[in-house]
Amino acid sequence: MCRLFNRFKKLFIKKPKLAAAVEELRIAFKDRYHSFKLLLNANNRALEIMANIERALQGKQPFGMTFVRSSCTAVSVNVFNMIKNIEKLAQGKYGKLNGRFNDIQQNIDRLLSQKKSTEDERLIIPLDAVNKEMTDLVGSKMANLGEIKNRLQIKVPGGFIITAAAYERFIRENDLQAEIDRRFQSTDVDNMEKLYTLSSEIQQLIIRSGVPDDLADDVMQAWKQLESETKDRITLALRSSALGEDTQDSSFAGQYRSELNVSIDSIFYAYKEVLASKYSLQAITYRLNRGFRDEDISMCVGCMAMVDAVAGGVIYSRNPVDMRDDSIFINSAWGLPKSVVDGSDACDLFVVSRKAPMEIIREDIKAKERKFVCFPEEGVCRMELTGDTGDLASIDKKQAFDLAEIVVKIEQYYAIPQDIEWAIAQDGSVYILQCRPLQQMEMEKKDIPESEFNADHEAVITRGGITASPGAACGTVYLADKGIDVLRFPEGAVLVTRQALPRWASLLNRSAAVVTEQGGFAGHLANVAREFGVPALFGVPGAVDRLSNGELVTVDADSLTIYKGKIEPLLVKSATKKNLMEGSPVYENLRQVSGLIVPLNLLDPDSSDFSPANCKTFHDITRFIHEKSVKEMFDFGKEHDFSEKSSKQLFYNVPMQWWILNLDDGFKEEVDGKYVKLENIVSIPMLAFWGGFTAIPWDGPPAIDGKGLISVIFQSTTNRALTPGVRSAYADRNYFMISKNYCSLSSRLGYHFSILEALVSERSIENYVSFQFKGGAADYQRRLKRVHFIGDILEKQDFRVEIKEDNLIARVEGHEMDYMKKRLEILGYLTLHTRQLDMIMANNATLNHYRSKIYKDIQNILNSK
Amino acid sequence: MENFNVLLVDDEPEFLETLVKRLKKRGLNISTAKSGEEALTVIMGKGIDVAVLDVRMPGIDGIQTLREIKKLDPLMEVIMLTGHASVEVAIEGMELGAYDYLMKPADIDELFYKLQDAFKKRTIQQEKIGKLEDLVSYKSKTKGVILK
Repeated sequence: MCRLFNRFKKLFIKKPKLAAAVEELRIAFKDRYHSFKLLLNANNRALEIMANIERALQGKQPFGMTFVRSSCTAVSVNVFNMIKNIEKLAQGKYGKLNGRFNDIQQNIDRLLSQKKSTEDERLIIPLDAVNKEMTDLVGSKMANLGEIKNRLQIKVPGGFIITAAAYERFIRENDLQAEIDRRFQSTDVDNMEKLYTLSSEIQQLIIRSGVPDDLADDVMQAWKQLESETKDRITLALRSSALGEDTQDSSFAGQYRSELNVSIDSIFYAYKEVLASKYSLQAITYRLNRGFRDEDISMCVGCMAMVDAVAGGVIYSRNPVDMRDDSIFINSAWGLPKSVVDGSDACDLFVVSRKAPMEIIREDIKAKERKFVCFPEEGVCRMELTGDTGDLASIDKKQAFDLAEIVVKIEQYYAIPQDIEWAIAQDGSVYILQCRPLQQMEMEKKDIPESEFNADHEAVITRGGITASPGAACGTVYLADKGIDVLRFPEGAVLVTRQALPRWASLLNRSAAVVTEQGGFAGHLANVAREFGVPALFGVPGAVDRLSNGELVTVDADSLTIYKGKIEPLLVKSATKKNLMEGSPVYENLRQVSGLIVPLNLLDPDSSDFSPANCKTFHDITRFIHEKSVKEMFDFGKEHDFSEKSSKQLFYNVPMQWWILNLDDGFKEEVDGKYVKLENIVSIPMLAFWGGFTAIPWDGPPAIDGKGLISVIFQSTTNRALTPGVRSAYADRNYFMISKNYCSLSSRLGYHFSILEALVSERSIENYVSFQFKGGAADYQRRLKRVHFIGDILEKQDFRVEIKEDNLIARVEGHEMDYMKKRLEILGYLTLHTRQLDMIMANNATLNHYRSKIYKDIQNILNSK
Repeated sequence: MENFNVLLVDDEPEFLETLVKRLKKRGLNISTAKSGEEALTVIMGKGIDVAVLDVRMPGIDGIQTLREIKKLDPLMEVIMLTGHASVEVAIEGMELGAYDYLMKPADIDELFYKLQDAFKKRTIQQEKIGKLEDLVSYKSKTKGVILK
């Protein structure tokens, strides 16, 4: 600043003024430069976040509401800072910006806080009073069950539902939501270890909380009522029935906990456990990957009389992995359906044809190792099956037909394929425990010659099992066994495990494929694998022993084969992983708010539309402020009658049409007179740019084809800024504002203008280059072509490029100094060499000539020292 | 499966109480301790088959307690309950011979089955060692005969 002071002092020696006035001016300039710096900083941050939002909207990476909220907050804080600083620079000239900012902010807040709410305040609703219109009160699972019980007269155990209103009460009375949000905000959800801790802590938080008194009373009363109806001592099954999980294509299979055979003593603890399971590791990762908003999920809990089953299982009313197959798939095990659902044991499969008279077309009776049965008091006991029982069919033909009949009835009623959990009680009666829509997949047909992959292909490691989720994938084997493996599992590996337990679901988004020894396609893990498009091959005998950790394998779930190494032909056709974010509530929410943030409508600073009143988005505001801030910085000198002296004309062999304002420490030494020599400039980014600008001489404008010239002439008559003599004083020069590590360039070269801004220092994380380019003399189509031409070049040089109409924004940041300098050199080179290229944009041969010349030149620049 | 003796170690009385009640209903013999130190005293006093340890406790922590338990009874199986997962600590625990890790709060049935599995492993190990001891004593007996 001392140097700055000297500069002013020298200025005013010639026109003597009071030292106090000079001092005042010096302080004012310092103050303005400070505001300007803050403004640029905020501008840069805001643009960075907008770029992040756009990247997120490509839908390739999962993100949660935390990302959406924090991005919105960060953008608005930075835009707000810009407004504060332009107010200082322009003394309130643009006060209208405040109003625009507030409007946009309010609209964003409104979009972020929208939440369904219901009028019904009942904490408990008996299952007998529930139908499918009551999803918002009792969750889709229980609404579906109530519907078939009450409207279709299908046998469902008696029970009641602890409602969404009760959940809200529980959360509110214990003040949990703010605390949960806080913990999410401070956790890096990409880090499995951190996520694990988060999950555990929130679950403990919920379990430590108390159940509100009136809710407890209502539950006890409902229990007594149920007991009096059944005229017997009962225990309950507590099943999650979350609200908001009923969107298209999402199963939420096995994400939440079910508590079986709960006694009256444990009901509140079990209730809290089911609530807490909203934050189980697999539930958090599932929501994150599928884009569900945490606050939209209310946990309703269905409490139903426990059926101590002799056999149970899951039925699919159609083939989940082949849309054309309308057979009914009955999976069945001894005892409770638990082992079918959690994939912990082999189960019997009966395939029943739908056409009357029904027929069993396939029967696969497995050796079952164990069964789950109820303990007398509470809890579920796992029993080893002894003698022949394990090898016997768990249901007979008649039971299979009975089940098939019920399923067809339910499917016809809902008119979509069904996924149904059932149990057969001690007295032989069939109960339906759960029903929900079944997601069906199209079996992909591969054009692979049979000969190439015949049975004795040398690379085959195993054959057999069942297609739990179709497709093929390649990766290294990771044998998962213990709980800790959830943390150790490497990205992109093939998950190999004995049992298809739901706990492995939290790894699915990181797995190439899944292979298990136990478990069928009706289990939770299979469900989620299909949903995530991860190939899964289940029931492969000896898989764990035959595959070794770290071995590269190709899993083809369609042909039930595992190969050693990478088998390219199998992988060619396998679909890439589904984009699960797109269309999800979180994605939609981001898409909506991004409409108020990202689009740039203010493109032309010379247009009369370029005003605060026309700022429709945060991007517009930043663009407007940036433009005006540069103007204000230069105008300051003008207003105080020393601008032409404080901004110097660049002298490089001859005086150039480049004007330089030294903001701080951009000159080696103080400069008297109107010129500054290049040797006297020490601004790192400016020198890099200049180096590129002068690296390769320009051959002059390209030969214009006839149409190109007409186009230029036509534009010159309509575009005011191109007509000599009418141009504003501000528009006809190239302005650099520099300090040692910073430069900003507003330039009009030829018929286009560009804005360059760069910060380059040793601190690579702060480094950035942003380049905006617009205009040209030719017609719109040619300008557009040139913008894309330049965009392509910059993208190849690692810039992030965004093009809207004929406006191009390119950014690169966070690299070390030498890298950034090279990018600036390239921009300098392009600034000179692409001028007037719009004229030749329609001529492909000429264009190709220039393209290859430009690529060659850039290569030379990159190779030079 | 027959009953066996389980020791639950956790410094939070609420969690401990509920867990004891629920596991007892499932037919297990449960002892409790509120700290690592207390756990070691209990183990020295009576036969424990499987212990469930919270990794984070005041006083000597879960890992240290595990180390001491394995000194007292190398065949005792230990299941670790953890609320914060550091891979290093988890691996250290597994290397010290922990049977498995479960996230706290654990699903009661999952914990129950883990306890059963751990006990089964202990039984098999004991049988193996029993046979080995028989073999050793048989050999030394026959050796003695030959020497005589």
